[in-house]
Amino acid sequence: MVPFEHYILLSAVLFTVGSVGFLVRRNVLMTLLSIEVMLNAVNLALVAFNRARPENHTGQMFAFFLIAAEAAEVAVGLAIVLSLYRLKRTVRSDEADLLKN
Amino acid sequence: MTNALMTLFPPDAFTLVAVILGMPLLGALINGIWGKRLGNNAVRLMALTAIGVSFVAALLSFLALDTLSHARKDEHVRLVWTAWEWMTTSGKDSAPIGIDVRFSIDALSGVMMLVVTGVGFLIHLYATSYMEHDEGFARFFAYLNLFVFSMLVLILGDNLPLLFVGWEGVGLCSYLLIGFWYQKAENAAAGKKAFLANRIGDFGLICAMFLIAYYCGSLDWKGIADHASNLVSSHEAAQVHVWPLGGGQYTGVLSFLQPKSPFTITAATAVGLALLLGCTGKSAQIPLYVWLPDAMAGPTPVSALIHAATMVTAGIYLVCRMSFVFVLSPFVMTMVACIGAATALFAATIALVQNDIKKVLAYSTVSQLGFMFLGVGVGAFTAGFFHVFTHAFFKACLFLGAGSVIHAMHARIHDGDLSQDLRKMGGLRKYMPLTHWTFLGATAAIIGLPGTSGFFSKDEILFKAFINRSEYHPALKGTLERLHAFQPPTWLGPVLYGVGVAAATMTAFYMCRLYFRTFWGEFNGWKVGTPSEVAAQEHGEHGHKDHGNDHLQIVAGPAPKESPWPMTVPLVILAAFSVFAGFLNPGFHIFALPPMEHWLEPVFKDVMESGTIAVRAGGEHLEFPLAAGGVGAFLVGTSVAYWMYIAQKRKPADAIAAAFPRLHRLMLEKWRIDELYEATVLAAVDSLAETAAAFDQWIVDGILAKVSSAVVVALGAALRVLQNGVVHVYAAMMVVGLTSIGWFFVVPHPEAVVTETAGDYVIVAGPGMGYGYRWDADGNGRPDTETFSDQATVRVHLDLGKSQVVRLEVKNAFGFTAGREISLSRPKPEPTLELGSLGGQIAPMGRQNGGQN
Repeated sequence: MVPFEHYILLSAVLFTVGSVGFLVRRNVLMTLLSIEVMLNAVNLALVAFNRARPENHTGQMFAFFLIAAEAAEVAVGLAIVLSLYRLKRTVRSDEADLLKN
Repeated sequence: MTNALMTLFPPDAFTLVAVILGMPLLGALINGIWGKRLGNNAVRLMALTAIGVSFVAALLSFLALDTLSHARKDEHVRLVWTAWEWMTTSGKDSAPIGIDVRFSIDALSGVMMLVVTGVGFLIHLYATSYMEHDEGFARFFAYLNLFVFSMLVLILGDNLPLLFVGWEGVGLCSYLLIGFWYQKAENAAAGKKAFLANRIGDFGLICAMFLIAYYCGSLDWKGIADHASNLVSSHEAAQVHVWPLGGGQYTGVLSFLQPKSPFTITAATAVGLALLLGCTGKSAQIPLYVWLPDAMAGPTPVSALIHAATMVTAGIYLVCRMSFVFVLSPFVMTMVACIGAATALFAATIALVQNDIKKVLAYSTVSQLGFMFLGVGVGAFTAGFFHVFTHAFFKACLFLGAGSVIHAMHARIHDGDLSQDLRKMGGLRKYMPLTHWTFLGATAAIIGLPGTSGFFSKDEILFKAFINRSEYHPALKGTLERLHAFQPPTWLGPVLYGVGVAAATMTAFYMCRLYFRTFWGEFNGWKVGTPSEVAAQEHGEHGHKDHGNDHLQIVAGPAPKESPWPMTVPLVILAAFSVFAGFLNPGFHIFALPPMEHWLEPVFKDVMESGTIAVRAGGEHLEFPLAAGGVGAFLVGTSVAYWMYIAQKRKPADAIAAAFPRLHRLMLEKWRIDELYEATVLAAVDSLAETAAAFDQWIVDGILAKVSSAVVVALGAALRVLQNGVVHVYAAMMVVGLTSIGWFFVVPHPEAVVTETAGDYVIVAGPGMGYGYRWDADGNGRPDTETFSDQATVRVHLDLGKSQVVRLEVKNAFGFTAGREISLSRPKPEPTLELGSLGGQIAPMGRQNGGQN
């Protein structure tokens, strides 16, 4: 059986990869992907903690909720990306600067 | 019927007052909010219904009061209705003073209420015709209804704060109605002047309220009356230190200001003077009378209702209402009488020469208000108030008559000032018979033609001014020398009488002058007849020369017309009352009608029996001899006016004016009192305002505002760099923030709160996620236990003068630990201080509150 710490380690690595990607990528699609990665890292951590403390299923239930929230977030996020593309003919976030100045 | 009335409305829950008050308020709201959309007919109906119903309810209340006063003879009967409890404040020694929204009707407020609603209704009726073609018809009636409501609150309110609400309300309505035609700058300025002059008086009234709340511990009429003796007790507590202010000591450089013995006045004098200031403001007495003549800028019905019949008498009403306070201070009573007499005489001199019909009436109002003050100032409250009553009728009638004349003059002369000019009138009795006869009736009343109402009331005042003398309350008699008490001189009575007679003579003269110049002689407004007829006449005559009005184009036109019935009916009713209302209070006890004096007697009974109003020896028998003064004044004034303006056709008047051109001009310009005030009071206020404005401009705007704006600009520049609109920077900042919060949770925070009672210290450690605690409570430097537990509280006892260090260690879920030392010390009490006033002192601690999670 895979030890508990390995799950947490993997989750931490995934979260770091996601957050670095979120911070450095300028492509909005990639930013969204990075957010997905971070959320899945959190999901993994939740499930792993649940396994370490199996008295109840709070962690698993929470993971389900998160999956639902992710789905909604992606739907909205992609719609925004599409609108942005129609408006500016780009999906780069540093070019979406209508609010600047 | 009266039985049913008494059952429906018991005297201690007299809800009919709600109708009296509510209808005008309802009218004001409906006309004010929907008036424009409802149209003039609906507005007229609403306004008249509101006041009409209010008047009927007032009549019923009066009937109920009459029944009650017959049932309880010689008692001060009141009908009371408490609407709700307003507020509770605290007086001396934090004793509670309840202030309720309570209304009461007694003989005094009942008469006043009838006058306000009755005369108010007639003037409303008059105004429906007078204001017919005005654009602001709805606005006018909304204001007028609101005025009646406010005036009723003023009269019926059972305590000073409630009276003050009405007092301010009528002031507001007065302001709104004086400036009703606000498009003309001078009308707006007149409104402002009235408002500001009244504000000075209101300051006095507010001060009086504070003083009364302090000394009497009550603000309603009954409470003040019961505790009025607190205002004069010979005890030091009833002395108000005027100099040095508040009884202090001037030291150092200011010590030269310290008098040898402090100058004190009784609290009654202080309260009386403050009230008097309020009354001079509202009732247009010297020195605050200047607003009333200017107030004539408003529509004439307003002048009749507010600035003649009702609002301006509020000051006299207040003096009557607070008579039990006024009589306690002979100084204040003397001041009231002297101010009244001076105003009566002074305003009459100005009225002698004015050419504007409304200005003459305005100064006549000021003068008559002076008479009322003279009356109440000599302790003749009934007489003074009776003059309020009769004056309401004849002055309202005079103003409405003047309005009727102006209305007729407006047919051809559209200039506001010229249509009110006496020099343009004359001969109107041919064209306007009803106006003429009613005007004559009211004039007869004001000049004191024996038998008319004005004669009775004025005669009574003059008589009482001669024989009455204010004295100290018996409670003060023994300490008069110590107080250096003021004593009214014995010659004061005859002097007041003489001044009163002189003013009455002038009144007779200028009123007859007004009457003759308006209704007798030739009509000077324009050529009467069709244009062709006039042209034929002109051929035979010279050009029309008049006093400096040559710039006015003399136009031809039809004869001036009598006003329509809604204007003449009120005139007839008011004239009838002017002539006959005197029989309600026959000074000579000739008539068997129930005299008004008996009506009001219970109200002033306590005052009259308090021994503060003395009567000159043998004075009772002087009534008939002293009446000669009033009759003489009437005869002299009238005959001189007749001789000057009818017999000699104005020649003597012109000759006198030519003989004393400077004096004539001075009087025409109202003794230049306005200019005097402008040069002194207003200039002082202006220079203060300019100083303040300069301070605002240079210090506030120049330095403070610039500095703070520079700070804001600098901060904004710094923060603008962060708000650059790039999503990634925001994301990075979010990461920084989240990391900081995460770090806060990772590091343990040992915080504790210490409480102490008599040497027992309780130390409670702040909570946190997964925290375990380890204590060193005995101060030996080693933890008490090896392991961390969830024991968050320890108790330590210290004796006096001991100190100890307690160490707290915290370990969180990540296994990090942190600790802090809490020093406790309990000093010995200092011998001079009480034990227990110094608790255990805690050595410096970071935070008192260890709450976190």
